[in-house]
Amino acid sequence: MVEIKNEMDPKDKKEALDTDYWRSFKELFKDTSTIDSSHNEFGKSVTEDFDPSKLKGISRRKFIALVSASAALAGAGCSDYRSKGFIVPYNQMPEEVTVGNPTYYASTSTSCTHSCGVLIKTREGRPIKVDGNPDHPVSKGKTCAKCQASIINLYDPDRLEFPLERSGNEFLKRDWKVVDDAIISALNNSSSKQIAIITHTVNSPTSKKVLDDFVQKYPNTKIYSYELFNEQIRNSAWKKCYGTDNFPLINWDQAKIIVGLETDFLGIDGNKVETTRLFSDGRNFHQTDNFNRLYIFEGSISVTGMNADYRIKLRPDAQYELVLSLLNELDKKGISIPAGSQAYSGYSLDSFAQKYSVSKNRLNLLVKDLIKNQGSSLVYPGRTLPEEVHVAANILNEALSNTKLYRTDAAETPVLSLTSKDDIARLVQDINSGNVAVVIHYDSDPVYHLPKDFSYTDAVKKVPMIISMVGSKNDSSALGNYILPINHDFESWGDFKPRSGFYSMQQPVIDPIFDTRQKEVILLTWLKGKPVVYDDQIYHNYLKNNWEQNIYPGINSKMNFTEFWNAALHDGVVIFEESVPSLGSFDKSAGNSLPKPSSNHSGFVVALRESYQAGDGKFLNNGWMLELPHPVSKITWDNYAAISNKTAKSLNVDDGDFISIQVGNRKLEIPAFIQPGAADNTVTIELGFGRKVVGIVGTGVGFDASVLMSKAGDFSPWIYEGSNITKGSGSYKLASTMEHHLFDNELTTNVAQKRKIIQEGTVEEYKKDPNFLNAPKPNEEESLYHKHPYPGVKWGMVVDLNKCIGCGDCVIACVSENNIPIVGKDQVLVSREMQWLRVDRYYSGTIEEPTVSNQLMLCQQCDNAPCENVCPVAATTHSPDGLNQMIYNRCVGTRYCSNNCPYKVRRFNFFNYRDHFKDHFQQSQLFSLAANPEVTVRSRGVMEKCTFCIQRIMDARSLAIEEHREFKGSDVKTACQEACNTNAIMFGDENDKNSIIHKYRNHELAYYVLEDLNTKPNVTYLAKLRNTETEVA
Amino acid sequence: MAIDYSLELAAIEGNPPLKELDEIIIKPMVTKPSRKYQIVLAITTSLLIIGAICIGITFYYGIGMWGNNQPVAWAFDITNFVFWIGIGHAGTLISAILYLLRQQWRNGIARFAEAMTIFAVMCAGIFPIIHTGRPWLAGYLIPYPNQHVMWPNFISPLVWDVFAVSTYFTVSLVFWYVGLIPDFATLRDRTTNKIRKTIYSVFSLGWRNSSRQWQHYEKVYMILAGLATPLVLSVHTVVSWDFAAAIIPGWHSTIFPPYFVAGAIFSGFAMVSTVLIFIRKIFDMEHIITLDHLEKMNKIILLTGSMVGYAYIIEWFMAWYSGSPVELFTTLNRAFGPYAWGYWIMVSCNVFFPQLFWFKKIRRSVPITLVIVILVNVGMWFERFVIIVASLSRDFLPSSWHYYKPTLVDMGILFGSFGLFFTLVLLFARTLPVVSLAEIKSIVPGAQPSHGENQHE
Repeated sequence: MVEIKNEMDPKDKKEALDTDYWRSFKELFKDTSTIDSSHNEFGKSVTEDFDPSKLKGISRRKFIALVSASAALAGAGCSDYRSKGFIVPYNQMPEEVTVGNPTYYASTSTSCTHSCGVLIKTREGRPIKVDGNPDHPVSKGKTCAKCQASIINLYDPDRLEFPLERSGNEFLKRDWKVVDDAIISALNNSSSKQIAIITHTVNSPTSKKVLDDFVQKYPNTKIYSYELFNEQIRNSAWKKCYGTDNFPLINWDQAKIIVGLETDFLGIDGNKVETTRLFSDGRNFHQTDNFNRLYIFEGSISVTGMNADYRIKLRPDAQYELVLSLLNELDKKGISIPAGSQAYSGYSLDSFAQKYSVSKNRLNLLVKDLIKNQGSSLVYPGRTLPEEVHVAANILNEALSNTKLYRTDAAETPVLSLTSKDDIARLVQDINSGNVAVVIHYDSDPVYHLPKDFSYTDAVKKVPMIISMVGSKNDSSALGNYILPINHDFESWGDFKPRSGFYSMQQPVIDPIFDTRQKEVILLTWLKGKPVVYDDQIYHNYLKNNWEQNIYPGINSKMNFTEFWNAALHDGVVIFEESVPSLGSFDKSAGNSLPKPSSNHSGFVVALRESYQAGDGKFLNNGWMLELPHPVSKITWDNYAAISNKTAKSLNVDDGDFISIQVGNRKLEIPAFIQPGAADNTVTIELGFGRKVVGIVGTGVGFDASVLMSKAGDFSPWIYEGSNITKGSGSYKLASTMEHHLFDNELTTNVAQKRKIIQEGTVEEYKKDPNFLNAPKPNEEESLYHKHPYPGVKWGMVVDLNKCIGCGDCVIACVSENNIPIVGKDQVLVSREMQWLRVDRYYSGTIEEPTVSNQLMLCQQCDNAPCENVCPVAATTHSPDGLNQMIYNRCVGTRYCSNNCPYKVRRFNFFNYRDHFKDHFQQSQLFSLAANPEVTVRSRGVMEKCTFCIQRIMDARSLAIEEHREFKGSDVKTACQEACNTNAIMFGDENDKNSIIHKYRNHELAYYVLEDLNTKPNVTYLAKLRNTETEVA
Repeated sequence: MAIDYSLELAAIEGNPPLKELDEIIIKPMVTKPSRKYQIVLAITTSLLIIGAICIGITFYYGIGMWGNNQPVAWAFDITNFVFWIGIGHAGTLISAILYLLRQQWRNGIARFAEAMTIFAVMCAGIFPIIHTGRPWLAGYLIPYPNQHVMWPNFISPLVWDVFAVSTYFTVSLVFWYVGLIPDFATLRDRTTNKIRKTIYSVFSLGWRNSSRQWQHYEKVYMILAGLATPLVLSVHTVVSWDFAAAIIPGWHSTIFPPYFVAGAIFSGFAMVSTVLIFIRKIFDMEHIITLDHLEKMNKIILLTGSMVGYAYIIEWFMAWYSGSPVELFTTLNRAFGPYAWGYWIMVSCNVFFPQLFWFKKIRRSVPITLVIVILVNVGMWFERFVIIVASLSRDFLPSSWHYYKPTLVDMGILFGSFGLFFTLVLLFARTLPVVSLAEIKSIVPGAQPSHGENQHE
């Protein structure tokens, strides 16, 4: 290295000074400071201390390394990639937790009243996914959409975090102690005045015991239990006919002929999880002789109506006449009717058919079927129909000895009966006369749910102490003095007994996230009185003690209690022998009191149904549910008034135009929606929307149609005749995921059938010729590109369209598993919904009498995938096991793949959707906890799609490798498959010759969507067989 | 082969002295811009700024600011891209193909057309980048060695696009610049302004008008013309493969390459006409860019317009002949579905109106020509819109069908691209000779070797 001289040679210095040249007088006179400065030509600078000789230790390479390191630092320091924080290891390793491995806990969901058993998947202590508990005798490992979606209720940023006390018009944060003190003294001072506890269904014995204890301590307490939709009418009709309290459970799987009257038993009536499974057992194409046949008479299409073999549109107030006409017809055909003929004589089926323009052929076929299948047919009226329809249907079923279908091995035995509406009216009376000291809304919202003419809202304001125990604010809590935040299901202990023969256990899977308490705990704390003691184990111990003392002895377990208890919690269910109350015997005089139907149905009839999405309003702040397309109309984020095309024409309204509905003096303005297949002059509206006090997500969503309800409910609380409907002013945008009005012209009618997207047949055809479908199977054509070899497993899916009912439960399961964002109504309006899995609904036929075909549509994982070859950056590639993979990091978002996908199953992040939604709540720390850590959260500008739950495949593969065994297709279950109640989705290895997938791919009913494009899809559809008769249209 | 040039119409009118030609052409560069020019420039730059803001909004919030949806993942973005690429084609055709065919009349308009090619390709080039969801990663489309050993997907037509468009831009730019070298020298020699002189000196690369230089120059120009010629056909062919290689009905069609090339030349000539009509008026170049020029271009518009019309008819035939119900549906849906308005704008502007050019009177009428060429521009934009949006909005599965509606941002970017184009055109018109000084002199009467009478007057 060349040494750089820093200083002048002393000799040179001398010479320099001795020159004759001078530049200033100072220099001339040899001023010392000048001489010094002349040595330092450039003055003092930053490089002064830079001494290259000291740098000897730094080689050139090191120097370059340092320079590049600083450049890299500068580069990194200036980049936008902010630190996302640290991953902190457990200081104390909790038992049972292996970081990175999920832990499953059995528990019970209270999303609805059926208390399905669930298995909750937790990762590092946080619940991330809900699945069914396979040991549960009713739900058998399945769940519904609401139950799946309840996980984001746990992580809802609108949850209350601490107790609130009213102060003027505001609610202020309070300590539990302060609140408890105030309430306990209010309870103690209530003296003889009533304490009203208003709750939903209670089917937990221990929870009931807490209430009993409360009543014991405060004998002036009354408990009111209500549900917006309930089985009260069905049960009271049953009692009239059979003398026992509850309508029995039904062996749906053994019913050959099912006649539904304004019922949606596959959707929202009753225990959907069980009913759909049993129903679909009767639609097994391997057993064509046992194929059931479903007749549905309804006002607007429901999920059940979509699946009907014969769907007959009928206004709900004509159902009674239908049943009477059927009774009359059967009587004429020689069936003995166990009731006096005076009730039904005079109602001929012919005149009924004429009056309501119902196809006579269909009715005749129905009568023929009913007579032929005595003992295995069922007439099932919907829960919203009036009592006389149920009584008449009971007579009909009795006459056809269909009572054989009633289950005698199990029964629903309510822990606490629902309160009658008279009792609720009396409560309002008591409040108004000042006899109620305290009202406790026990996780309920009566202000929103009760018919407005109870005047509950006005009345309750007069109560000196109103306490609401709620998860998040609702219409009722807004009126109260205290709002007490309660735990979510997943933070709670409990036991449930929805039916005879078993208990379903609930255990917390996460510590309460906020300063909340379980509602039973709050009551127990109050019961202890002063001094206030709270202990988070309080209800746990209470539950355990109750079981040890009262329940365990009756179960005859061979285990000691501790073992028993642990096993019960582990399994999530306790099954034991229990006697079932008898059905009772039919009372032939039941038919005597049947009223005459009003012969003239003038004006409009308004039918109110429960929402598929929002439930009774409980899920109105749940983005997953609101964005789940309505199973029939595919509308998201709203409810609407479904009317028929003819009615729309006569009112001169189009989709989205407001109509004004008047029932008595109750009015509602709501957008209309033309529902193909709706009965004329019938308006069907779903309840559960339009809550006034709700969180970010639910605010302004839908319209509150419960304002139309009346306590009188002359016909039924949910069906109102003689209402007046006029065109309102203005219109409204309904966000649907599918276009409407494909009936309009020749080009678009039946287009799915014309393109062989939907291929169907009838049971008859299939019996005659199993190969009737004659669907071409993928063939081996020459290709420009090399063929994928697929060594090892090759993934394939089979969707049995005979079993798929189009409910959409799988969609929510997929959303939950794959961290799919909520996009909001504005984005659905411009067709940017993100769900990877969708249920396509196709109408065929006419707008008056459409036939509905559903088709699950997801990535077909084509062998010749059109998406793969067009991606310019190779961000979507083919895996050796046959998946079309998506590499998010590589994706630049040209969207070419989406254009070229004939199935349009790719989804693009047009925005950062987690940030896009109101208040960015999807990015909040709380909501993010719901994310599955195994799945990347996609950023803006990236394409995404279904990959058959690749994370599950990888998990199963590593497990197989770890356990030194062969990796099998059956090791993996996709999220949609797991959630499907009817097992319509099957998944596995195509290369495995013994697998069901391999078998079904070559089945005669198998077909591929758009097979002629030679995309070679790996999703096989098994054609739907309709159980119709050729000559009967 | 002996060519009798006297049979051709004079490429420029009158017999202006060469010096006067220079002066007319250079005048806009040395005079102060007029008020009109300033107003027009203000309008175009405003549009440009609106476009820039809209692109900024898109970058900040995401593609969601546009109307694109599922299934219409491409809409205005790619429509604009194809439209602008098409506009560029006239320039290359005029400068390269007509040069090789010794069409002397091209000399008056070639420079301008070439400049328009470059500007149009610049406008077009914006869209493939901004249409990506993550434009900051658009570099992934370019093959470069990297530590992931990750190359672009060479079987994707979008990668071919990258090559086609970048090649096109490079060749056009070099061709244009080479043509400008003698003009830079002339400008250098004429100017007295020091700064200008320096700039012109640098760009003229020491051009001294020596015979040797001319000899080399002519060779290079010819070779470049030869290189550019296949591009006229190839670039839009490759662009059309974006659609033809896809399987979407309405896209998947072998007719696309010739159809697109004809359409590109068609729209390109229309755009050149549109701009030249103004330029010749504003800059008093009516005898350099003559009515004959316009008429000749109108003839090409008539020819290519008829080819486009033929393609439209063939699409109907193929829709029926293919036997594919989806294909037939798409064609019917274009004409009678929700985007029927777009289809009929396209057909009337591209097929019906240009047929008026069969009449000589109309061909030679500047106002009518202006109206028709503007309609052709509109029609050709709609052609791309119909192909892209109408096909995507209703493809195979009816469940996914959805109507596309553009947003304000979409419109802003579309107008912004026009703003960019016209701003560049206006700036070009004032900074560089819009007609080639060197070439135009070669076609004044008497410049060509001839044995005709007019040489010895």
